[in-house]
This record gives sequence, structure tokens and C-alpha cells, in this order.
Amino acid sequence: MSAKKTSALLLVCMLGMSMMLAACSGSSGTDAAKPEGKDTAQADPSKPFVLGETPLTFSFYGNYDWYTMNPWGQDPATKWIQDNMKVNVQAIQSGGAALQKFNTMIASGQLPDVIWGDRGTDVEKLRKAGKLVALDPYLEKYPNLKKWAGEKTLNMLRSEDGKLYQFPNWYTKNPMGNGGYAINNKIYKELGSPKLETFDDLYAYLKLVKEKYPEVVPFEVGLQGQGIDFLYAGMAEDRNVGQVSLRVVPDGNELKSLFSDPVYRESMIFANTLFREKLITQDAITQTRDQVKEKVNNGRVAIYGDFDTTVLGTEANSMLRAKDPEGGYTMIWPLHKDGVDPKKVWVNEFDSLGWNVSAITTSAKNPEGIFAYLDWLTGEEGERVIFWGPEGMYWQGTNDKGAPVYTDKYKNEVEERSKLMAIWDTFQWAGNTAFIDGSKAENEMNLPEDKRDWATVSQTGIAWKTSFDATEFGNIQPLPDSDEGMILQRVSDIADKVRAKALFAKDEQEVISLLDKAEQDAQKAGYEKLLKFETAKWQENLKKIKGN
Amino acid sequence: MKKRTTSVSPPGADHKSFWFRFSRQLDLQLMVIPAMALILIFSYLPMYGVLMAFQDYDIFQGFLHSPWVGLKHFKMFFEAPEFWTVMRNTFVISALRLLIGFPAPILLALILNEISHLRFKRIIQTVSYLPHFLSWVIVSGFVASMLATDNGSINMLLQRLHLVNEPVNFLSIPEYFWAILIGTGVWKEIGFSAIVYLAAIAGINPEIYEAASIDGASRLKKIWYITLPGITGVITIFIILAVGDILSAGFEDILLLAKNPVLQDVSDVIDTYVYRVGIRNSLFSYAAAVGLFKSVISVVLLTAANMMARKLGRSLW
Repeated sequence: MSAKKTSALLLVCMLGMSMMLAACSGSSGTDAAKPEGKDTAQADPSKPFVLGETPLTFSFYGNYDWYTMNPWGQDPATKWIQDNMKVNVQAIQSGGAALQKFNTMIASGQLPDVIWGDRGTDVEKLRKAGKLVALDPYLEKYPNLKKWAGEKTLNMLRSEDGKLYQFPNWYTKNPMGNGGYAINNKIYKELGSPKLETFDDLYAYLKLVKEKYPEVVPFEVGLQGQGIDFLYAGMAEDRNVGQVSLRVVPDGNELKSLFSDPVYRESMIFANTLFREKLITQDAITQTRDQVKEKVNNGRVAIYGDFDTTVLGTEANSMLRAKDPEGGYTMIWPLHKDGVDPKKVWVNEFDSLGWNVSAITTSAKNPEGIFAYLDWLTGEEGERVIFWGPEGMYWQGTNDKGAPVYTDKYKNEVEERSKLMAIWDTFQWAGNTAFIDGSKAENEMNLPEDKRDWATVSQTGIAWKTSFDATEFGNIQPLPDSDEGMILQRVSDIADKVRAKALFAKDEQEVISLLDKAEQDAQKAGYEKLLKFETAKWQENLKKIKGN
Repeated sequence: MKKRTTSVSPPGADHKSFWFRFSRQLDLQLMVIPAMALILIFSYLPMYGVLMAFQDYDIFQGFLHSPWVGLKHFKMFFEAPEFWTVMRNTFVISALRLLIGFPAPILLALILNEISHLRFKRIIQTVSYLPHFLSWVIVSGFVASMLATDNGSINMLLQRLHLVNEPVNFLSIPEYFWAILIGTGVWKEIGFSAIVYLAAIAGINPEIYEAASIDGASRLKKIWYITLPGITGVITIFIILAVGDILSAGFEDILLLAKNPVLQDVSDVIDTYVYRVGIRNSLFSYAAAVGLFKSVISVVLLTAANMMARKLGRSLW
């Protein structure tokens, strides 16, 4: 091979390489810097967008690891929407790695038309960067969101600039929640059904269980020891579980430290006593959901309490009832310290803003159309179709309140229906709690008492009545990349650590000194500054709520 | 390396020009190109990203428009109250891995080599390397349920044998964590890591053993004077690499096994800290700064280890 030929070949290779490199660096350079082309909202002020007249297609991303949207148009409900409303949705899946996917989409400048996820950090980030479409111009033109969510909820959802960027999901005016204490009927009866109202009763009962049933977990506190926070809720009036996870204690107009709060201290001492005497699951902090489920389903717990009691309890209850009609679980009113008004013990919390939100990005070609669809979805017709399927399957006609009237197929095809309803649940982006729960209750009332759903009975009887309205505490936490956000991270670490350590402490004295140490560490990390920040946000919220 | 090049180029080619030598082995060089391109594109090009550590990176502004802040994020890390705990844990866990996790597969390979029953040897080998193919999610699930206080098989066994009266809460006692972590790691990787050593042992000339037998060397003597020296080359290379990796104390295994916050004081290492504080909160610059710090120390350690090895005549480069 001649030298000339060789060098030519080499040149080709090098050229090829450098072209590859150029292509790569080129794309990565522009990705980051590409300005987002602003699709101006074609808000024709005169005519609202009519679904079904003009076809509408948009892309949709659910920002959760666990979320996978089912294929659009492959089931009766979305097929119906496709045919009658001419709406098509292209799913962008998180693939089990929502955080990465979300950041990649931002960094590459390719945002989906709709992002569905938690309120707070992510939405605020997008808004600050000018990537979200304000929904205010559409509010008046489409009736449903305004009617069902109400002005107060919408105000709370508004961002700092006074505009609305988030379409809420499962917003509500009524209390909701799944948490609470459930007792194992069989054990309770065999032990002579003692009074179970105060923490003293609880302690005595757990002791008795431990003695008579050494194989049984006296008090199962669920995943991450959630049930332990119930003890805080019952230790004084108007304390609620959310304060533990926010790590703040409201006092007058101020938010104060959790670690130095006497009520929190008392509850941790009580938790320590129960844990030390092996009355609480010893795996409380480390166990998996499956481990909890195994114990509850087999009736190996005497009292079960966490934030998901009505969820895990329903399955466990029917499994145990199948073996023994006297068995199963019953939800009881939250336990409390002697002298505390049981009506002021809150083991659940809800806020009127509901669970999460949809935000329409500036990538959307037709933001008004998307809003029109979400608004239709959250209205009566949309909710009926997406929750129970198109008319003629599981329901036929409605009553005077708009509630669908169940068909026989609804009652008989339980398995198939549960499967379909789970599929439809992945399309429920604008859940209207008041309408759905109201309609369910209307239908449930018509059933005989023993046919009613365990979860519904527990919820309407107890869980919802012990749910604290925490709307005023919504979004009070700082963004993670701010100074306060760094402090929050430290304080959270300290709080998680001390909560676990307090359980393993050898006596009351050690619990106190652990909490003292936590308070010191937290103050060193800047807790005071964080509390000031959160207090200000909280007061702003209160103003927003009272302003209307 | 030297051996290979001389076998390709004719004797006496060494003094010829670079281009001449290059052209003589053009076919070989072409084969290297894809691998080089791969490394260049996926390992070198993204390296500009480490500059992020000196910026307040804003994902919307992108790399080109984020403000430069110098050493702010490094300072933040060094001044963080967690810094010393994280560093201590990283070094201790790595040192334990080096001390226990590293020799374990060598030992296994030596033992396996002495087994003359072929079927038995194969079964042991297969069984011992199978756990390597299980993901940490599954392994940690096993470990958690085996070590559980309530219905955990280890506790049940200990109680049946009357070794303990009350079940032990293994996964919540900080003193036990390092042992559990290292033990699980050894169990999972021992068989797979032993394969390399077994291969190296297989390369030793059997005649040397025969000669030793004639000289009356015992089994242990043969291991000590023939097998071990025969594989020191491989061992040195792996030790150098392991030293360079000393700041990678593990990530998935720790994240999954140390669920109890009580363990944070003994379990928090650089990688889990970066994940918890940096990535989960989208503090990319902070995460990049800590990551860069780790890489720099690793390179220093790797170079130092290699220099030591060079003195012994067995360096990596």
C-alpha cells in the first residue's frame, strides 16, 4: 500500500470522526440554548373551542415512576371519546424513571403539551422559566372547572404572579383520607371487647394481646412507621399528622420547631415505650409494603393503623371474612390521650386542591383546545365516561343529581369491571371528587348494609370525619435549589433520624436528649430561617383563603 | 503490549517512522477505531459537563448561559455538616471491601482449584456465581425478609437454637450494618469474581506442579509457591483498580439495605449523599461538584497505587 493511499484513507477516517463529533457537540450545544418557540394561545375571544367539531391531538406526560398511561382508544371509554369528541392523546411514558425523563425533556427543549404531576417544585420551575400557559383567559369561557373547584381553590392554585397555571385533579370541598386504626375483630372479641378510646386503653389492650397471643403483632404501624404519627395526632387537640411530615407546629401566627414541641416529645416518649416493650412492630421502619400486607392479610396483627388502612384493610377484611364470618377488621375512632376531645383528633388530612395537577406547556399548539378537553373531563359527562365508561355498559341514564344509575352488568361483572376501571383510572387527570364520591354514595345507599364496600363504610363513618383541612399549609415548603431548600433537606434528614432513633432509645431520658440534640443540630442547619420562610408562605395562604 | 506489536511488525521496524509502522498494521488500527469512537463519544465528550460544578447550573438556561460561581459548590460540600461522616463511611466501607471482599474470591478460586471431582467443582462454581445475576433490588428484598425481626428466618433459626431469647433487629442496629453490607456483597459477587482467578490458575504450566510433586512439595506448599505466584499479575492489576475505586463504596446496595434512618450515620457514603441531596433535589451543580471531587481523589489514588506497583515491577501502565 503506498504512502499516499494510506494517508488518504487516514484522512477519510479522521474526517468521519470529526463529523461525528461535530454532530454531537452541535446538538448538545443547541439543545441547551434553544429558545422555546412561543406558540401564542390562539384564544379567539369570541368563540369557545368546541370538542367534536375540530379534531384535537396532544401529547401527555405523567411525571411519576409508577405511572403508565394505557394506549388511547383501545378501551371503550377512550374509544368513545375518540369517536365523539375527536380527541387523541399521545402518551409520553416515564419508563419508570420520571425524574430523569423530566429533566431530559427540559434540557432538550422538547416539552410535552401537557405535564401531569405533583404541584409545587416542578410546576414552579417550569413557570419561572416561562414554559407554561396561563389558564385564566379560558376560565370564563368553559364552565366546569370554575363551577366545581370554586374560586377559593383556584386562588390557592395561582402562582406568585397571580395567574393560574395548574388544572387540579381530585380537588374537593369535602374531607377525604384513608388512614385510621382498624382492630382485628376476632382477637378483640376473644379478649372480651375491652374499651378502646384512650391511649391508656390502648396500652392495656396491647399488653393483653402480647401476653395472650405471643405470635401476633399487637400494633402494626405500617410502612415507615406511619401509625406512630397517629400518636402525635392523639396527644393534644387539633394536632394533625401532616405537621410531623412538614416538621412544623403552628402556634398562633407562627410555625415553631417540631423537636422542641412538648406534644411531639410526649408522643415520641409514648412511641418509645410501646416499641421498647415490643408492642409495636419491631420492623416498623424497615419493613416493605409486602411484609405489612402479609401480616394484615393473615390476621397476625391486633390493631393496624397507617395512612392506607382502608386500602390494605379492604382486601384483608374480605380474606379473613371468607375464612371466618366473625373475623375481619373494623375501623375505630382514633385513639387519644385522656382528656383530649376525640372530635379534635385528626389522623388524616386533605386539602381542597386535591392530589395533583395538569399543566399545559408552551409547546402545545392548541392550549385552549386542551383546556376545553380537561374542562369537559372534569364536568359531569366527562367524569361519568372516564370513571364508569360510556353509557350503556355499566350505567344507563342518570338521576336528578347527575349520578349514573348502575346497570345489572355493573353488579355482576365485578372482575371485568374492576379491570376496566383500573385502566380508565390512568386517564383520570381532572378528577372531580365531589361528583364522583357523591354519585358513589347515591348508589351505595341503595345497597343492603352487608353488601356495602368495607372501604366506603370505614371512610364515611370515620376516616373522612377525622380528616384535617390542611389547605392553608399547601406549598409552604421552599424550592430545593434555594438556601431554604438546602436547610429543609438537612432538617428532614435530622427529623427522620431522630424519629427512628427515639424508637430504639433505651429509656425516656434518652428520648429527651435525642430530641434536644436534634433541635440543636437543626438550629445549626438554619431551622429558624426555614420556619420564618414557611410562616410567611402560610400567612400568604391564609390571606388567599380568607380573601374570598 | 510490546509482545503483540513485535509479533505484528517485522523485526527491525521499531526505528522506522510512526507512519510507516502505522501503515503496516492498518487493518488492526481500523479495528480499534470503533472502540476509540465509542470512548470518545460517551466518555470524553460528555466531560465538558464537569464544568457544571463551577456554575450555578440552570436546566432551562443550559450550560452556555448558566452563571459561573467558581468553587462555591465545593465549599458547600466541605462545609456541610455531613462531610466528615460521609467521608469516614466511604473510606471505612471501601477499606472493608478491599480487606474482605477482595481476597475472598481469590480464596474461593484456590479452594476450587484443589477439588479434583469435576462435577462437584462445576456445581459449586455455578451455585456460587448465580447470585451475581440477581439485581440488588431482589437481593436486598431477600436480605430484608431474612433478617426481619418478625418472621425473619435468621431470627427464627437463632431462637430455635436458643442462641438468642428475643429476635434481633439486625437492620436497625448501626453496629451490624457494615458486616451485613460486606457479607451480602461477598455472597453476591464471590463466585463471579473468582472466574478470572480460576482462568489465571488454569494458565499455569502443569509441569511445574509435577516437578514440585517429585520434589516432595505438599498441597499447601504448591499453592503457596506455585499457584499464588502464578496469579500475582492478575491480582496486582485488580488491586490497583480496586484502590482507584476506593471512593466508590457502593450505591445501590447501601441505598436498598440502609432504609432505616438510624443507619445514616454509618451508611451515608459519597454516592448515596450525591443521590439524596444532589440528584433528588435537582441540584445538578452540587452533585457535579461532589462527583468531580470524588473523581479527582480516585485518579490520585489510582496513580499512587500504580507507582507502588511499578516499584514491584508489575504496573498497569
